[in-house]
Parts: sequence; C-alpha cells; structure tokens
Amino acid sequence: MTGIVSYGAYIPKYRIKPSQIAQTWGKELGEIEKSLGVYEKAVASYDEDTITLSIEAANRALQAGNIDPKNIGGITIGSESHPYAVKPSSTTVAEILGMGNDYLAADLEFACKAGTAGIQLLSGVVTQNKAKYVLAIGSDVAQSRPADVLEYTASCASAAFILGKQNIIASLLDFTSFSSDTPDFWRRDTEKFPSHGGRFTGSPAYFAHVYGASESLLKKVKMEPSDFDYAIFHMPNAKFPKQVAKKLGFTSSQLTPGFVVEYIGNPYSASSMVGLAAVLDIAKKGQKIFMCSYGSGAGSDAFVFEVTQEITNYRKKTVDTVQKQIKDKTYIDYSLIAKNILTKYRI
Amino acid sequence: MSTPASIWRQHKKLHTYLNKAGQLIVWTKIFVAPVGFEHQTPYLVGIVQLEGERLPLQIVDCEEKDLKINQKVKIVIRKIGKAKSEDVIEYGLKVKPL
Amino acid sequence: MRIKVRGTGLTKFGELWDKSLSDLAQQASLEAIADAGLEKNQIEAVFVANMIYGKLTGQDHLGALVASSLDITGGSVRVEAACASGGLAVHLAIQSLLSGTYQNVLVVGAEKMTDASPAAISSALMGAGSEAERRAGLTFPALYALMAKAHMQKFGTTRSHLASVSVKNHYHASMNKKAQFPFEVTMEKVLESPIISSPFTLFDASPITDGAGAVVLSSDFSTPGVYISGSAVATDTVDLAKRKSLTELAATKQASQQALKMAGVQISDIKVAEVHDCFTIAEILAMEDLGFCEKGMGGEFVQKGHTRLGGKIPVNTSGGLKACGHPVGATGVKQIIEVTQQLQQKAGKRQVKGANIGLTHNVGGSGATVVVHILQT
Repeated sequence: MTGIVSYGAYIPKYRIKPSQIAQTWGKELGEIEKSLGVYEKAVASYDEDTITLSIEAANRALQAGNIDPKNIGGITIGSESHPYAVKPSSTTVAEILGMGNDYLAADLEFACKAGTAGIQLLSGVVTQNKAKYVLAIGSDVAQSRPADVLEYTASCASAAFILGKQNIIASLLDFTSFSSDTPDFWRRDTEKFPSHGGRFTGSPAYFAHVYGASESLLKKVKMEPSDFDYAIFHMPNAKFPKQVAKKLGFTSSQLTPGFVVEYIGNPYSASSMVGLAAVLDIAKKGQKIFMCSYGSGAGSDAFVFEVTQEITNYRKKTVDTVQKQIKDKTYIDYSLIAKNILTKYRI
Repeated sequence: MSTPASIWRQHKKLHTYLNKAGQLIVWTKIFVAPVGFEHQTPYLVGIVQLEGERLPLQIVDCEEKDLKINQKVKIVIRKIGKAKSEDVIEYGLKVKPL
Repeated sequence: MRIKVRGTGLTKFGELWDKSLSDLAQQASLEAIADAGLEKNQIEAVFVANMIYGKLTGQDHLGALVASSLDITGGSVRVEAACASGGLAVHLAIQSLLSGTYQNVLVVGAEKMTDASPAAISSALMGAGSEAERRAGLTFPALYALMAKAHMQKFGTTRSHLASVSVKNHYHASMNKKAQFPFEVTMEKVLESPIISSPFTLFDASPITDGAGAVVLSSDFSTPGVYISGSAVATDTVDLAKRKSLTELAATKQASQQALKMAGVQISDIKVAEVHDCFTIAEILAMEDLGFCEKGMGGEFVQKGHTRLGGKIPVNTSGGLKACGHPVGATGVKQIIEVTQQLQQKAGKRQVKGANIGLTHNVGGSGATVVVHILQT
C-alpha cells in the first residue's frame, strides 16, 4: 500500500494584516479582516523564493522520516511562482538536498493544485515499484498585483510529502481528479501579475470543481462525509472552503484542524497541503482524512488518507508543527512587501 | 561576478551544510551595501563557528537586538544577492538564530 | 641593508576631477625624479602600485603605461596586494636593487577612484576579500567592524576610543596641505555621523580618494640622507573568518618583527610612524601588534594622546588614511614619503622633533598582506 512516509511544512515568519495593506493603499478599512475571514498573512523575506521554501519543507520531511535523500527516486514541485520560466526548480532543490542524480524531476504548474497533482502522479511511480520514495512538494511565494483585492490574502508557504510503501504514517486509499477548461484566474507568460474573472472565480470555478471531484471520490470509495475525521479543502479565503464543506455535508469540526487560511492567508500551491500537514500533526491511528485541492484553469484533486499506527512513533520526531509555525511570527509593515516587489521584478 | 559554471560548482557543496548549527562569534549591521545587496539594507552579517570551520554568513529572520554573543544559529538556504534579470540565481548559506 | 630614498613626489589627495590616473602618476613621478637629481633616462625600472583601476576602467598593463609616459624604456611592472600595493611595490623595488640588477628605480603608487560610482568602488574594493565574504554581502567597513566588535567584546574598547583615532588624525591633517580633509573634527561629529556598519560611522572610515605618490630608490648609499634599513612582508588568510584571532593581525606582528630585526632596532627606537588606519580600529590594532603598547590597550593608548604630535610616539602625522585620504595603491608610497620628510626635518608644522628612525605599516585587505618598512638617517 502506497502512502505518506513523512512530511514537512514551512511557513515564513513575517506577517502583515489586511488592514495594514488597505491602509497603505488609502482604502476604506471597514471590517476588512472580518469580511475576508483572514486576519493576517505570511510574507516571505526578500531572499526567499519557491526554491528556498521547497528546500526547507523537504528537508524537514527527510529529517522527520530519517530518509537518505539519495533514496528519493522522483521529485515534483508544484508552484505558480517558479523562479524560472525555463529551468526546473526541482533539480535545484534536489541538488541542494543531496539527492544525487538518480531521480525523475519535473516542475508542475496548475495554479493552486500543482502540488497535489504531484502527489497523484508520483504515487504511481511508487505503486509501480519504480522508486522506493518520492517527494511531492507544493510551494509558492504568491504574486498579486499591488492594491488588488488578492493582495490581502496571497501569501507564501511550502509543504513536502514523501511517499513510499514502507513505514507509512497514512495510507493513500484512493484519489481522483476533476478537470475542465475554465478561465477563472490566469497569468499570460509576459505579464507580471495574474488576472481574474471576479465573481466568475466562484460558482463555475472553485465550487464546480471541488464539488465535482469530492462527490466523484466519495462515490468511488463508497463513503459518506460522516465517515471522515478530517476534511481539508483549498483555502483561497475563509468563506469558500466553509461553503463547499457545508454543501458536501462536512462539519466545521472536521474542517477546523486543517483550516490554516485565517492566520497565514492563501499560499496557493501549498494551501491544502499545509492543511494536510496540520491535520497529520494531530491525527490518530485509524482516523480518515478527506482532502480536495483546487487549481484555477481549472481542476480539483481529491484524496482519501487513513492514518496508520506508525504515526505515534513518527510524531516523536516532529519538531516544526504547522500550529507552532503559525504562532511563531513577527509583524512587519508594507516595506518588506515593497522590497520583495522591487527584488522580484528587478526594478 | 557569478557565472553559471561557478554557481553550479558552489551549489554542489551546499547539501553538506544542511542541518548544521553553530555559534555566532561577532556580527555587524550593514547600512551601506555593495552592488547586488542594496535592496537588503540594513542587514546583519557575522562570523559563525560551525564544527571545525568558521564562516562569514548573513544572519536572517531576526533583529540585531535579538542577538547575543555565542548565539546558537542554524544554517538555512537562501538567495544570494540580487541576480540580474537574465542571470542564473545563486543560492547559498545563511544562518538564523535558534 | 641600506636603500636610499633619493627623491620623493606627492600629488594633492582628494577628489581631483581634472586629473586622470596618468596625470597623477606622471606628476608624482616627475617630481620624485627631479627631487632625486636625476634624468628620466637614468631610471632603470618602474614599479607601479595600483589596486582597482583595471576593474573600474578595463585598463590593465599599468607598468608599461606609466613607464612609457615618462619615456622610460627599462623594466616595468604593476604590483597589486589590495591596499598594501604601495608598500609591496617598495619592497619589490628594494629586492631589485639588492639583486644588483638595477641602481636607480622609481616606485609610483597611483589610484583614480572618483570617476566610478560608490557602489562600484565598494564592490571593487571587496576584491581584497574572499568569495565567501562577497557572497555574505560583506564590505570592507563591515569586515573591520567585525574586528572592532571582537575587540570591544574582548578588551572593553569603546566607540570613543575608536573616535579618538579619527579626531587625532584630522588634527594632524589640518597641518598638511596635501591632505584630502585638512581640518579638525570633534568627537561628537565622529560619534554622531551616520552609521555605515555598526559600530562604525562615516567618520570611522577612510574616504574615496584620487592621488599619487612616488619615490626614487637607489642602491648608492655613499651620501647622507634617508635610508630604508628594514623591509618585510608577511601573509595571512584572505578570509577574516579563517584567521587565528579576530583581535590581532598576525601578519603585522611578523612583518614588523622581521623589519625591525633587519634594521637592528627595537620598536621603542621608533620616533615617528605611518600606520594603516583604513578604519579607526585598524590603527588601534596596529598600536598593539607593532608593539607600541600592550594587546588590548590600543584604544586607551590613542585616547590618552600618546600618538598625537608632541606625544610619546606621533602616529600618522600625514593625517593617516582617514584624513589625508586613501588612494589605495598610493597609500603605501605616501607613508614612505611622510616618514622620509619627517627624517629630513621637512615636515613643517607637523615636524616630530629629533625624528631619526621611522616606521611605515601598510595592510592589504583585512590583514592578509602586511608590509613594514624601517627608515633611518
């Protein structure tokens, strides 16, 4: 049985509140944090990017699982902020982790679900015994146009999952994916910032695909929402995941442990994956986890995991839990964001 | 400064430093930076004692007031300087306080 | 060893917009050759000291460039050892005379810095450091600031101690027409100036300067005059982090001990000295490492006024690098010229009474190269 052997998550420590961003742009503050349901978001330092974030999360996964990087036979990094348009982030990360040369590497892009697509693709490599371990990473230092509404929530984080067949802490019982050509949010190749279709990003986009993939998977595994202990959905804001969970029949207590958006914002490809890490930080043997990501353009990857008894032993080595990182923060003002814009766009 | 080949050679050494920790011997806060580091000011650089080796390294994710002599620090991998638009990005060692 | 300083020539140090590197090198050289009582064609070799001109402008081959501009067709070479280029050029010129190959040679240190931007200059100067230091975003002020911090941590040296070096050197420079900053400054001014790299302010650092200095050296010691009786070079790691100690320059100790031994004198015999104060802490370290005072006591030694004109051992009567200026390749040669003039009793208001033995101390980078010369009448 293929499953998660170890994992790691990294959330940069700087935080800024939506109200500070609104104030920078001279906007009406109102009750912005309350209406978004997002109180603060993570901000990366000027010397961090998708590659450095990936290294941090992957290294934590390697350490927690006590895995030799040379035994990783496949690596994918899903992101919409790969530092290069041409040149894989995954090989730079693999080199710096000490993975040697005997591995498959591929960079993935599918808006916020590029990371989870990697989990599905690489699980096949393990199941087919083509590699002992594989490493699927979701990492983003998200870009948004300054002063656009997305700026309140677009954040940064990374999560890495090592899959294998031995000593798994959570079995990957099944997965499915639901895709269509839906232009809700996009960035043309020469454009600096993404564009979006406003309210079009709701019902025909996020909801159609999350609902589509989730219903499909529940049917496939012949399970009900009540059979699960945890449910994790992609979190572009605090409202959408709560709405889709309710529509599907999941409760707020199932949602809460993986609900990370309120205090870190939306780290795009890492969103649902950081949520999964947060759940694994506390889940007990035998518990079942339902996860469904969403990526604009559009598609959703849904998964069912079951926690094994290995989790008890594994947890003794876990140091940087998601909750600990959410709490380990330093507030900054807009100046770091301004520096990041100047650095990233080489102004 | 850094060419693709020299960055490639440098990157190969990095994995041996992952997970290393050490102590901070001395540090300074730089307000006037050399080319490629202007956007980072002010920033902290110090001399770090790792086991068997001392290195000059930038200190990140902290304020000067948080540092103490012999402060325990750990290695992190970050971007080095500011690559020009068309250049290869260089990654390297920095430290952050434990 | 007795090598005669037969002639000297020195341009004004400062922001010299009208002068090119060639202009500066020629001016100093012609003055030195004339002072030596020689014709240009009697100079058999030219040693040009320069650190960053090639990097800033793309112009290398400075040995030939300068020599040929003086119609000299003999030996020529450019010498580089970061900020110790001048001192090292003098040392190598001396070796060429001792070998018997030449009898009269010219050493000219010249630097033209102000055409370039401060950022380009700062980066070029970091060529004196290591790749690891450049990767860490270090600058020369930062490297010396790390040494200052270590010294403050170990010996209780204070920012006031550091500032007193700057105040004293400015006082000396106020009597030197050739200095870049011929005016005094107060302790407050030094302490309250903008911080460049903690704990240093702008006034803890030597400036960016254009200038040139030249000396004609001769192996003919038949006539009285000023002689170089000791010349030594010592080397240490380029990387500050790899040194055995952050609070001393081992190369200063080694080079000075060797030079003093060559000259057959003790440090207590030295009446006047020009030391390498690229940053205030450097002068404090020099006082200790040369042996003028105990290790750790350098700050107090300066603050008490022992190195001021009229004190026990006047240091940097030219104004030092801080106040006279630091055209990198020229500094080591300027130091020889200042001590020569002191020994010739030609230093005017800056004259140290009875100066008959002097020392120059020139450092490259954060201490990787140190050159020490002893001069006597």
